Amino acid sequence: MSDLAGPGSADPFDAAGSAGSPGGLDGDLPEAAVRRLESTTFSSGLSVPDFAACLDLGLEPVALVQGFCVMQWGWYGAGSGFGRGLSPYMGVQQNPGTYSETYRCPHGFVSNEHRSWGQNIEQTWVEDAWTQGYHTSYARMLEEARTLGAHGVIGVVDNVANVADTGTTEFHFLGTAVTVEGGPPPADGVPWSTYLAGQRLTKSIEAGFMPVAVVAALASVRVWAYCMTEYYMDGNMGGWGSNMGPALVEQVSKAHMASRQLARKHVREQLAGDELHGATIDVVTRELSAGDEVIDCTLRGNRMRRFKDFDPVALPRPTVRLS
Amino acid sequence: MTEETQSGGGEAEAAPVAAPPILSDLPKDAAHRLEELEHGLFTSDLSVNEFLLVKEAGFHPLGFVMGSSIYHIGIQTRKWGQSQELTKLTEAMYTARELAMNRMEEEAQELGADGVVGVRLDVNYYEWGNDSAEFIAFGTAVKAEDGTSYRNVQGKPFTSDLSGQDFWTLMQTGHVPQGLVMGTCVFHIAHRKLTQALGSMGQNVELPNFTQALYEARELAMTRMQDEATQLQASGIVGVRLEEKSHQWGSHTIEFLALGTAVTKRGGEVTLPKPTTIISLDN
Amino acid sequence: MSSSPPLGAGPAPTQDVRAEMLKGAQAMATPAPPSSERGITSDLSVDEALLLHAAGWEPLDLVVGVAVVSVPVGVWNWGRGAISMASDAHNAAVDQAARLLRGECGKVHGHGVVGVRVEVSVQTHHIDVELVGTAVRPMAGQSGKDARGTDAALASPFVSDLSARDFTLLQRAGWMPVGLAFGASFVYAPRRSAGTAMKQTRQNVELTNYTEAMYSARESAMEKMQHSALEVGGQGVVQVKVTEGPMSFARHAIGFTAWGTAVKLVAEAHQFVQPDMVLPLDDAVITFDAQSLRSAAPGKGRKR
Repeated sequence: MSDLAGPGSADPFDAAGSAGSPGGLDGDLPEAAVRRLESTTFSSGLSVPDFAACLDLGLEPVALVQGFCVMQWGWYGAGSGFGRGLSPYMGVQQNPGTYSETYRCPHGFVSNEHRSWGQNIEQTWVEDAWTQGYHTSYARMLEEARTLGAHGVIGVVDNVANVADTGTTEFHFLGTAVTVEGGPPPADGVPWSTYLAGQRLTKSIEAGFMPVAVVAALASVRVWAYCMTEYYMDGNMGGWGSNMGPALVEQVSKAHMASRQLARKHVREQLAGDELHGATIDVVTRELSAGDEVIDCTLRGNRMRRFKDFDPVALPRPTVRLS
Repeated sequence: MTEETQSGGGEAEAAPVAAPPILSDLPKDAAHRLEELEHGLFTSDLSVNEFLLVKEAGFHPLGFVMGSSIYHIGIQTRKWGQSQELTKLTEAMYTARELAMNRMEEEAQELGADGVVGVRLDVNYYEWGNDSAEFIAFGTAVKAEDGTSYRNVQGKPFTSDLSGQDFWTLMQTGHVPQGLVMGTCVFHIAHRKLTQALGSMGQNVELPNFTQALYEARELAMTRMQDEATQLQASGIVGVRLEEKSHQWGSHTIEFLALGTAVTKRGGEVTLPKPTTIISLDN
Repeated sequence: MSSSPPLGAGPAPTQDVRAEMLKGAQAMATPAPPSSERGITSDLSVDEALLLHAAGWEPLDLVVGVAVVSVPVGVWNWGRGAISMASDAHNAAVDQAARLLRGECGKVHGHGVVGVRVEVSVQTHHIDVELVGTAVRPMAGQSGKDARGTDAALASPFVSDLSARDFTLLQRAGWMPVGLAFGASFVYAPRRSAGTAMKQTRQNVELTNYTEAMYSARESAMEKMQHSALEVGGQGVVQVKVTEGPMSFARHAIGFTAWGTAVKLVAEAHQFVQPDMVLPLDDAVITFDAQSLRSAAPGKGRKR
């Protein structure tokens, strides 16, 4: 293995000794990554048809690159007005610009049992922790690609997983770093990236779309139910014998709508005018008790930019396959 | 689909199955729904591709039609050590499906259809019914736009399990569907005696009673299917599928179901367009 | 048959993809100028977006509609006949979600929503419906692509679960989607008396009251679907999907749903597509599969 270590690095386990590796290493990548990336044979996560299409485009695969990060978010309300043990029932206002909506009980009395006050709030501390984890992991993948002088990363696979029972979340990125044959490096050396590979990438390029980056955002909305929501979600219509029939549960419906809209808003903020294509929405709802829930909505997609005047392909011929 | 005749001698031939009565009392919801369809609204479970190809073949979808029957299948005693057809069960499976198919045809007839395409036969089990199952038949009723009748020799709308694509392709070859034909046979496979099992342990050997039993059962199912096609005066059957199901009877009782679409050549010279050969690069 | 020009007429584009890739790389070599564009978001795949463009339409924004409707306690207790409260709740949830979806579409000036994904979750005390799709409109200068006219389209945008691909195909044939047609009904499984049950054990017999109940419920769902299609002015419903099954929390209650896209012929006559027949030379091993002659799945017919 010694011929794989950079010149001047005697001990393969000495991270500091890798200063002689090509391209320099100013990220925080593990030492094993450095050794792998210095190898001259390429590796790629592309399937055979994707590999063929990639060569067809004039893209040369360089190496399989990855980024990884594990995050844990702090105490409830960290970074918002809810820190230091304050409870939402004290009516603390969130940071301006974040979503929150209050609901007040229409009944005339207050008691320990009766939830006279409820709120939908955007859990910005959860979103911040997620964003940090996601972008750190993503940046590490791009860093690996950059040290190799790659222009872009294609066929990105991202995986966000909650490690059971530990309250931590791990973010993992994997992609194939490529260089454009005869092409210039991207601005600031930051490689472009995309979930696409193979034929789908070729079609995008032909249509005049250039991938810029993989973008994603999380919106986390917490529903603190008030009395009406609690009754509806428990099947009791407004309590005390009134039997009204099915009713729209406004608080929960609004929270659901807000989570998707917020995710879309956060993603749009990262687009800077470019377009998002091939988006996917994943929603996880955790019901904590009647009416109390947490809605986590993740929106991911390819950020693409037009690089030439619009030139639509002709409508294809419809065919019927004989076998 | 009406009576089936005995096809020659042989020990394991089943008794002829009587034609199930066609009920003329579809639920009133069905009547409402079909009325709405007769006023010009069409429904279909065809995909957009299939819809366009059905139009291309000169037909228009009329409505989504279905028929169902919840059937209780009686117990039939069987000898543990003997391979035999369980005629009572065969009759039950056949009758139940016929009931479902007939109701579906009735709905199609109510709409004035020439035929039903994309027929699917499903069997559903529910926990509250021991030994009973729901047999459902779904399809889309279609009618020729130029007014020609495509009903079969029995004067009823044809049924076929062909997809929209297969229907169009079939029509291009100059053939028309006559009806979905089916043959079924429920067979019990003898358990082997312990001495027999021990005797052949570890050897490469054909198991003659299994071979015999399964061969016979499949032949019965296929012959019955062919008989139905003969009654429709069809020239052939396309898209034959042979399905094996154990339903809820355990592993020594198997139902063999042979299904296909009986077709006839419609007169005249047919010129098939020459297909283009392509190599698809998509995966 | 119509006399429209064959699709794809004209010389095939002889683009050199490598040259295009180089152009793209060059575009990325300089930092992008600040843009005042709003930033389109779309959940259409590349193929779908390109097809949509080829047909003269463009995606605008990812839009969503979610509604949660409560179901009162006691609805699922075993009774007789149809469970009308559950059906009402279900239909109300779908209506409200569709209304919110159209509202979001209107906010971005879309003519309609395509590729709507319908997710329904029936729980003991509430029914949740989520609709997600992409709002679309004809491209600038191509407002003729929507035969309804811009004002009419903006006033009542269509909602359809057709993919963008199916939308372009239908459009080409002279049809337009008008809305989502939806119907649901719930029914209690009927009961047999013990005496009847014993008597029927040895017989092959149709269980007429069961048949009647299930049949009615299924037809009722279909009828509601047809009714909702007529309400939005549709002439037909395509791609009807039917689901049925017991509730996981109450297995004696069976739910039926039927939904599809309501469509209307907007051209003077149906435009025939005139497809070519092709014989692909690849994947011969995969497409002919001896296994497909026999289906081994117990209890179910072969799925299409």
